Amino acid sequence: MLRRDFLKYSAAGAGLLLAGPRVAFAAPGVLDIFFNSDTNVIDFWTQVVKPGFEAANPGVTLNLVPGGGGSGINTLADRAYAAFQAKKDPQVDMLEAAAPFYPAGSLAAGLWVDFAKAGLANYEKVNPVVVQSPALLPYRGSQVVLMYNAEKVKDVPTTFAGLVAWIKANPNQFAYSRPDLGDSGACFIERALQEVTGQKPELFLPENYTEDYAKPMFEKLWPLLKDIQPALFNGGEYTSGNTASIQLLASGAVTMTVAWSDMALQAMSQGVVPDTTAVAQLQDLAFTGGFSGIIVPSVAANKDMALKLADYLISPEVQNHVVTDLGGFPGIKWEFMSKELQEKFAKVAPKSIPIFPSNWEPSLFEAWYRNVASDIKR
Amino acid sequence: MSAAVTSLRNGWRGLAFIAIPVTAIAIFLFYPAALSIIGTLVRPKDGGGYTFSLQSYVFFFTDSYSLTNLGRTLWTTVVTLILLVAVNLPIALYMRFTKGPLATVIQALALFPMFVPGIIICYALIRYMGPNGWLQSLLALVGFHHYASPHLTPWGPVIGLIWDGMPLTLLILISGLSNISDASIEAARDVGAGRIRILVSIITPEITHSLLIVSALNFLGIFGQALMPFMLGPTNPEMMGPFMLRTFSSVRDPLQASTQATITFLICSLAGIAYVRSIARRPKEDRK
Repeated sequence: MLRRDFLKYSAAGAGLLLAGPRVAFAAPGVLDIFFNSDTNVIDFWTQVVKPGFEAANPGVTLNLVPGGGGSGINTLADRAYAAFQAKKDPQVDMLEAAAPFYPAGSLAAGLWVDFAKAGLANYEKVNPVVVQSPALLPYRGSQVVLMYNAEKVKDVPTTFAGLVAWIKANPNQFAYSRPDLGDSGACFIERALQEVTGQKPELFLPENYTEDYAKPMFEKLWPLLKDIQPALFNGGEYTSGNTASIQLLASGAVTMTVAWSDMALQAMSQGVVPDTTAVAQLQDLAFTGGFSGIIVPSVAANKDMALKLADYLISPEVQNHVVTDLGGFPGIKWEFMSKELQEKFAKVAPKSIPIFPSNWEPSLFEAWYRNVASDIKR
Repeated sequence: MSAAVTSLRNGWRGLAFIAIPVTAIAIFLFYPAALSIIGTLVRPKDGGGYTFSLQSYVFFFTDSYSLTNLGRTLWTTVVTLILLVAVNLPIALYMRFTKGPLATVIQALALFPMFVPGIIICYALIRYMGPNGWLQSLLALVGFHHYASPHLTPWGPVIGLIWDGMPLTLLILISGLSNISDASIEAARDVGAGRIRILVSIITPEITHSLLIVSALNFLGIFGQALMPFMLGPTNPEMMGPFMLRTFSSVRDPLQASTQATITFLICSLAGIAYVRSIARRPKEDRK
C-alpha cells in the first residue's frame, strides 16, 4: 500500500472518531486552535492572546486545544489534507508550532494559507530571516542554550570544541535528551553535525536533502558522539525529553545540559532549579534555534477570523509580550518592538538564528538510534 | 412447542443480541488491522499494479537493531512474568488461608496500583528510585553509598510493569485458590500430609489453570507496553511498543511500523491462543 494511502486511511479513521462529538458542539465564531507546544505556551495564549483577541472581536471564542505532541499534530494535518481533498471542513482553524511541509505534497497542493498573499496588515513587520516558508507565520522564537550550575562551572565553554573538552574532563556531568523526544537533544546533535562539517549551517537546507548527500556527513558525526558517550551521564544515558533534562540538573545529578531558552528561563523564574543555575550560548556558532509558527488550512471553516488572529499574533502588542512573558524572541523586526525592549535586548538581538531543516531530521534521528544509542554495555 | 424450536429461537435471539458488538469489532478492529497487515505484504509496483513482497519482513529479520529490540521485549516480558508470579503467589496463598484485618490491609495494599494511572506511577517511580531520589537519599542516611538507580536501565521497565501488573495477577491467583475446598485440605491433613505435600499435590494442580491465564494476560499486557519502557527504560535496545511508535511518528515509516506491529501481533496471538484454549477447555473438565 502506498504510504500516502496508509496515512489517508489512518487519517480518515481518526477523522471519523474525532468528528462525532465535535459536530454537535461546533459553533460559529469558535476558532479551534491545536497546540504542539508545551503548556507554558498554552498558558501564554490563555493569559495574553485569548483575552486580548476576544475583547477586540466580540462573539469570537478561541478554543485552545493541546494537540498531543508531534504525532498528534501530524494526525490533524493528515485530517486537514484528507478534508482538503474531499472539499470538506477540516475542523481545524489553526495549528500552532506545526510546519506546512507535512503531509508530503500538501504545501504544493495549496492546503496551507500563503501569508505573504493573505493581506495581513502586520506582515511587512515580520523579520525575513526567520521565515522558512510563506505558509508558516513565525510568531515566537527560542534558542537552545547551555543550562548549568554556575557554582560548579566557573569557566563555561564558549565553543563546541570547548564543550566537548568540558564533557570529557567532567565525566557523568552532562546529559542531552534523545533527539526525537526533546528538541534540545536534537539541536545538540545538529550542532555537532555542523561542527564536524566545518561550521557551515548553509550545507543543510530544506530542499537539498538526499540520502546520498546526507550520509557521508552523518558518517562524520558518529565518531564524535560515540567519543563523548562514555563521559555522558551514567556512561551514555539519554533523557526522555526537555523537562527530564532540566529535572536532572535540578536534582543535581548533572552539572550541565542543553535546554530551550524559554523553558530554562521559566524553570529559573519558578525556582524549580537551584538559584545558582545559569544559561550560556556558544559564541563560535550558536545552537540551532527555531521559530515556532502557525499554519492555517485554506479550507478552514473560520479562515477569515483565523487570519485576523494571525495578524494579531504578529502585532507589536503581542510580540512585546512574547519577549516579556514567554522569554522568547520576537517574530517581527526589532525596530517595531517597544523602545524599552529594544534597548534592553540590543546586544542579544539575533541577526539570524541558525535553523536546521526539519525534513533532515527523521533520517538523522533514526541513524542516531542505530549508531550512537546502541552498544551501551551495562 | 418442542425443545428444538425453543433452542433455535434462542439461538437467533442470541445472534441478534451480539450482532452490533461483533459488527463493531469487525469494522473498527479487524478491517483496519487486516488492511495494515495486507499493506505490509502487497506493495505497489513502479509501473502501476501491485506485487506481493516480503521485503519489509526480510528487513526486520536481517536487521540486527530490530532483532535486538525484539529480544529485549521478550526478555522484559519473561523476566517480569516470572517475578510477578514469584511476588504474588505467596501473597495469594497467605490471603487464601488467613482471615482477619491484617489480610484485608495486605489485600488493599496489593490492589492499590489498580487505581493509579500508569503515567503517575512512572513519575513517582522516577522520583523514588531515580538518580538522587528518595531511595538513594534514604540509603545514604544509613551509610549505604553504592546505590545505582535502575531508572533508564532494562530493570526500570521491569519494576514499573510489576507495579502495574500486581493487582490483576493477584486477583486471578486468589480466585484460582478459592476453588480449593477447605475440606480437601483437611482430608489430606487427616491422612498425614505435610504442608509441602499439600502445596504440591493439592494446591498446585488446582491453580495451574489460573497460572496459565495470569501468564497469558500479563504476556499480552507487557509485550505491547509503550509507556513504562518509554519512561523508565534505556534508549537502546527499545521495547517493541516505543520502537513502533518512534518508527511511525519520528522516522515516518508506516510500512516498517506496520511490519513491527504485525510481528508483535503474531507473537502476542500465541499467548492469546493459550488463553482462549485454557478458557475453552475449562468447562469440559468441570463437566467430567
